[in-house]
Amino acid sequence: MTTKPTPLSCPTRRRLIRAGLAALAAPALLPRSALGSNARIDLVHLFSGADHPIQRLIRAFNARNTGVTVVSRQDGTTYEAITQRALSSIAAGRGPALMTTGWKLGDFARRTLGAKDFREIFGAERTAALLGRFRPQVRPLAEVGGVPIGLPWAMSTPVLYINQDLWTAAGIDPAAEPATAEQLYPMVRQLQERTGRQGLCYEVNEWLPQAFIQNAGGEVIDASGRPVMDSPEAIYGIEKFVEPHRLGLWRVLTIPEMLSAFQSGGIGVMASSSARQSGVREAARFNLRLIRMVGLEGRQRRMNSGGNFLAIYSNSREQQEAAYRFLDFVASPEGFEIWLGTGYLNVTTHPLPLPPGNEAAHAQLAEGLTSETIWPGPRGLEALTAHIDWITRIVNGSVSVAEGLRGSRRAVEALIAA
Amino acid sequence: MTHGDWRAGLSGWLLAAPAVGAAVVFVWAPMLASIGFSFFDWSLLRRQGTWRGLDHYLATLSNPEFHLAAGNTLIYLLALLPMQVGVPLLLAFLLLRLRLERAAAAYRLLLFVPAVLSFPVAAVIWLWMFNPVFGVLNALFGALGLPPQRWLSDPDLAIWSVIAVAFWKSFGLNLLIFHAALLTIPHEVVEAARVDGAYSLKLALTIELPLISPALFFAVVTTVIIVLDEIVGAVDVLTEGGPFRMSTNLLYYLYERGFRFFQFGEAAAVAVLISCLVALVTWAQFRFGERHVHYR
Repeated sequence: MTTKPTPLSCPTRRRLIRAGLAALAAPALLPRSALGSNARIDLVHLFSGADHPIQRLIRAFNARNTGVTVVSRQDGTTYEAITQRALSSIAAGRGPALMTTGWKLGDFARRTLGAKDFREIFGAERTAALLGRFRPQVRPLAEVGGVPIGLPWAMSTPVLYINQDLWTAAGIDPAAEPATAEQLYPMVRQLQERTGRQGLCYEVNEWLPQAFIQNAGGEVIDASGRPVMDSPEAIYGIEKFVEPHRLGLWRVLTIPEMLSAFQSGGIGVMASSSARQSGVREAARFNLRLIRMVGLEGRQRRMNSGGNFLAIYSNSREQQEAAYRFLDFVASPEGFEIWLGTGYLNVTTHPLPLPPGNEAAHAQLAEGLTSETIWPGPRGLEALTAHIDWITRIVNGSVSVAEGLRGSRRAVEALIAA
Repeated sequence: MTHGDWRAGLSGWLLAAPAVGAAVVFVWAPMLASIGFSFFDWSLLRRQGTWRGLDHYLATLSNPEFHLAAGNTLIYLLALLPMQVGVPLLLAFLLLRLRLERAAAAYRLLLFVPAVLSFPVAAVIWLWMFNPVFGVLNALFGALGLPPQRWLSDPDLAIWSVIAVAFWKSFGLNLLIFHAALLTIPHEVVEAARVDGAYSLKLALTIELPLISPALFFAVVTTVIIVLDEIVGAVDVLTEGGPFRMSTNLLYYLYERGFRFFQFGEAAAVAVLISCLVALVTWAQFRFGERHVHYR
């Protein structure tokens, strides 16, 4: 008895061709599986240096051979610069898998660049598992309108960098740790007079003045999004900020000038972000000590923070899944310990050993930190620049503190309303 | 039209096609797109625009920062144009009269080297020299008993520091152009002028200068374009337009609108306005050139 062959058991030439074509078309037609065996993803960032902790982090991850290779792409030295360079690829629908995104750009990243909602691409459970390793107070920093769009891995705070050699040479107690501006300025005067070097240098931007405004009891923008940087408290704070310039203790410099001058030993005390620590420590040829940023006499300390998060811009499922593996490593104790070498704070729930020199920043974290000012609205970045311009006018003595802060409020109000 | 004419015409078009195609894709299409963008607010993500009509133009023209940038651009132009044309011209005449050929070649090389550098590289070199704490310029001032300066952060000085760097960086190119043009003047013409009693200044003003007027005209046109355009690299690295916009210019204003504030529609409107301005200046230069440039 003969049986009629079943279609599967008797492949004809036509069927073979069909099967071959189907196999070729499958990757394009079927929903892509989560992850191929050898995915390469770009991590766009702004950190310079071949041995910067971000490079060590990437090397440590790649060495694990997870099937994902992370490629480091330093596309600039500012958040705006790397965003600018990513614009065209994002517009073409081929955004980078991962990009460091400044908190101040969070709103823009979500609404204009389309930073991905973690819950949408990873699901609620995996997102909770990932972000649950970060302290509850930092998670909202990588959210826009309640949507988690990033891993809040990088948080810094202003601290004082002290050239300990000059400090000691000036006859100041080597262990002295001034807690207020009122205590610091006489010490800086002593340092300047005895060593002949510039005593102090502050960054002229929006961030450090915010610390003075907050420590005086004011705010830059209140909880309802209203600019309030010309309140009496804020005016007092900025008066204290510019006082060393008026006293001849602070020659105003641009930030790159300040950094190179401090690193070359030309400045006694510098106020800057704790995140600069790894770079400054590497370049400085003197004993460096970091202490907490000074507050103001008789006012409650209220320091601010700043930083960035890692957001996903790729539309590809494979790239997104590969990015998750890297994020998972970053958020692990092993990964985050490497990352702490930058000078950023331990914002995870892991009890990690602090790298030496990072104690002051972590002491400030323990006191509680407010976030960087978020400049609202589609013209928020312009409002931020307008505010910095007014602060610069004040520092240069072109306007009084009260006039300058009033000018800033008006300019920011107009841009927020636009 | 004969078949041969038609074929000749077609082959001409075919030969020109790559250049025409490149110009259309990389020049004309982006220019037309910019004009289109300037009437919209663009969403990069949705690739959609919201019609804004002339709003971006009106907002730009009434913005005090645009006025400041336009004023600064004029300062850059008025300061740099005479310097970048006058000084190299003078140096070219001096080099021509230098009898030691080797010394002239060495001078030419040394004076031309900065022109080879890009603006950002030149600016980085100058950042070190300008540093108020350890920079060589303040050390020099100190040695002369002068007070130290904040070259880049003093609102009254910043623009002049950028001008100094731009001059140092660019004058070598014009020097080379003038020197080469002077060398092309026929020896007999110069000899004849000398026989007629024209020496040094008179020779330079009445014979050599008119004969190199095409090169002079070329240098003026390219210098204006460099000042309006390329200087933005130096502004970005040295001062970022600061302090408080005091050293910005029109192109940096455009860059900020587009790539720092991400206001693409407004940036496109600024680009159109700058293009109109450059076209107007160039047209005026050519009108002037028609009357005063002598082509041999």
